[in-house]
Amino acid sequence: MIEALFEGLVLVLQWKALAFMLLGIGLGFWVGLLPGLGGATTLALMLPFIYTMQPVEAFAFLLGMHAVVATTGDITSVLFGVPGEATAAATILDGHAMAKKGEAGRALGAVLASSLVGALVGALALALAIPVVRPLVLTFGSPELFMLAIVGIAFIASLSADGTRGMLRGFLAGGLGLALATIGQDPQAGVARYTLGTLYLWQGLELVPVLVGIFAIPEIIDLMVRGRSIAAQLPAGAVTTGAWEGVKDTFRHFWLTIRCSLIGTFIGIMPGIGGSVAQWLAYGHATQSARNAEERKGFGQGDVRGVLGPGAANNSKEGGSLIPTVAFGVPGSTAMAILLGGFFLLGLVPGPDMLTRHLPVTFSMVWTIVLANVVTVLVCFLFLNRLARLTTVRGALLIPVIMVLVFIGSYTSNNHYGDIVVTLIFGAVGYLMVLGGWPRAPFVLGLVLGKIAENYLYISMARYDADWLTRPVVLVLMALAAVVIVYPVLQSRRKVARA
Amino acid sequence: MALAALIMLAAAYGVVTAWGWPEKAALFPLVIGIPLFCLAAVEAAWSLLRPERRQTQAMDFNLSAEGHGTRRAAMAVGWMLGFFAAIVLLGFPLAVPLFVFLYLKLQGRESWTLSLVMTAAVWGIFYGLFDRLLHLPFAAGWLLGFLR
Repeated sequence: MIEALFEGLVLVLQWKALAFMLLGIGLGFWVGLLPGLGGATTLALMLPFIYTMQPVEAFAFLLGMHAVVATTGDITSVLFGVPGEATAAATILDGHAMAKKGEAGRALGAVLASSLVGALVGALALALAIPVVRPLVLTFGSPELFMLAIVGIAFIASLSADGTRGMLRGFLAGGLGLALATIGQDPQAGVARYTLGTLYLWQGLELVPVLVGIFAIPEIIDLMVRGRSIAAQLPAGAVTTGAWEGVKDTFRHFWLTIRCSLIGTFIGIMPGIGGSVAQWLAYGHATQSARNAEERKGFGQGDVRGVLGPGAANNSKEGGSLIPTVAFGVPGSTAMAILLGGFFLLGLVPGPDMLTRHLPVTFSMVWTIVLANVVTVLVCFLFLNRLARLTTVRGALLIPVIMVLVFIGSYTSNNHYGDIVVTLIFGAVGYLMVLGGWPRAPFVLGLVLGKIAENYLYISMARYDADWLTRPVVLVLMALAAVVIVYPVLQSRRKVARA
Repeated sequence: MALAALIMLAAAYGVVTAWGWPEKAALFPLVIGIPLFCLAAVEAAWSLLRPERRQTQAMDFNLSAEGHGTRRAAMAVGWMLGFFAAIVLLGFPLAVPLFVFLYLKLQGRESWTLSLVMTAAVWGIFYGLFDRLLHLPFAAGWLLGFLR
């Protein structure tokens, strides 16, 4: 195995594979930065180019591109409050708040360093987990995956606002997200649900226009209202110092970063949960690291831990989601499904062969993830000063550029004006939520998990009737959900009693 | 209160509509819709009976103090709707430079030179990247289609 590990490294370092990887990194860098371009879409666009490549070169190119998209997507989220990628939306909450306080350098340093740690953890998990992952994946059937979705929503709803009232609003927001996920043709009976007589809604609400609307529009309105730059000013000459502070933050909260990386890897391994979920669960976990209610209030206002958690998780999930793709041919996400297409184009069959005959190729993927992230983070650090200074550009100059990107970004989901209408409607919802002090994170997680949860609930009911509720792992997850809900209530009561 | 009432209405509509569907299609909307309606009713009642003295703190950013329902916020919404209308009527290739230029000139009160240079730069990136390189299919505006 060790021999194959080194053979994988040598294969990636051959000049052709390395050149393709650098080309992929360059593409992924810009795809991540631009809100309109999705990593999965670009992966699909690039598939036809791999026909003439060797497997190692092709994976170096495709994975090199895909591995860095989440990292640079975080940069857009931090600097402009617009999610560069759907998987980088959670970084906005604290990352952009830090940028507005003039701490863009620190936020970027933290997100880049945690992304690197996350990617390394994900790659390590990929290297180590292949022999042991089979029993883990097989333990989680539809009932367990449904409960995992419920725990995720309970987790973020109970932690995303202050007190019992805040928790109620968190659950309302999560429930609203789940309810809106039912829009579109139902997969079981083929009924067109809540489509309002329009063809556009038959396929349901696209995630990107909703995310762009709910996060970017309130920020743009606020930027227009303030009429100033995103950050009032950057501390003189402190961008690099701030960035180092961000790197140090990663190591100051090292175990949090590692735990969030493991959350990302775990979600990545679970087929069908999707990459957008990992960041929110990691954010929820990061808020749990607050020692008291006062400290928790700092989340959403620019707490660096709220940047480290999603930053680590959205990168570590890539290594995780490669595990079921390579080992069983079961893609863990949309991007992995496209990558699976790449396997077949190259004449490779995922499964036992990838763990025996083609093991060096599998390890070359591990090395690609590692090298691509190291190169990207180093390049980002080189341009950090220029990137952070963008937050001091006058609002009047930034707003039209951001608006153009936001509108193109949402329009390109379906190439339909309906996408922009969805963005504007959810922009209004997002603005009202921020105005009323409602948390937006549970809403997004509900929307992301809705379709998956419905599917798993349906299969559980059809396969086990109500007996699925008594399965051991389901019971454990139910208990976990109860603890997650009850604990903050007790904590809040104790605080009131003490006062 | 307004959001809770809206959610109540939406949940009620969702549940009533789902009632007539086959069980397979109605299961999840009912499982979610009924508790959602109840929770929204609790929130609405809470807002009516015990109005908040201070806003609940969510893990989220706070709007700028000057932003609450002011003329500027309305103007921001106006610019967005105007840009959308321009996209629908003229299509992206014309709406993008028009919006960028008008915003810089009228809202930003920037100089002619800066406005023109920035408009050209944004249009160049839009045209070069999205149109020529990626061949994204941007529909022609309704007005242009009508005139042709």
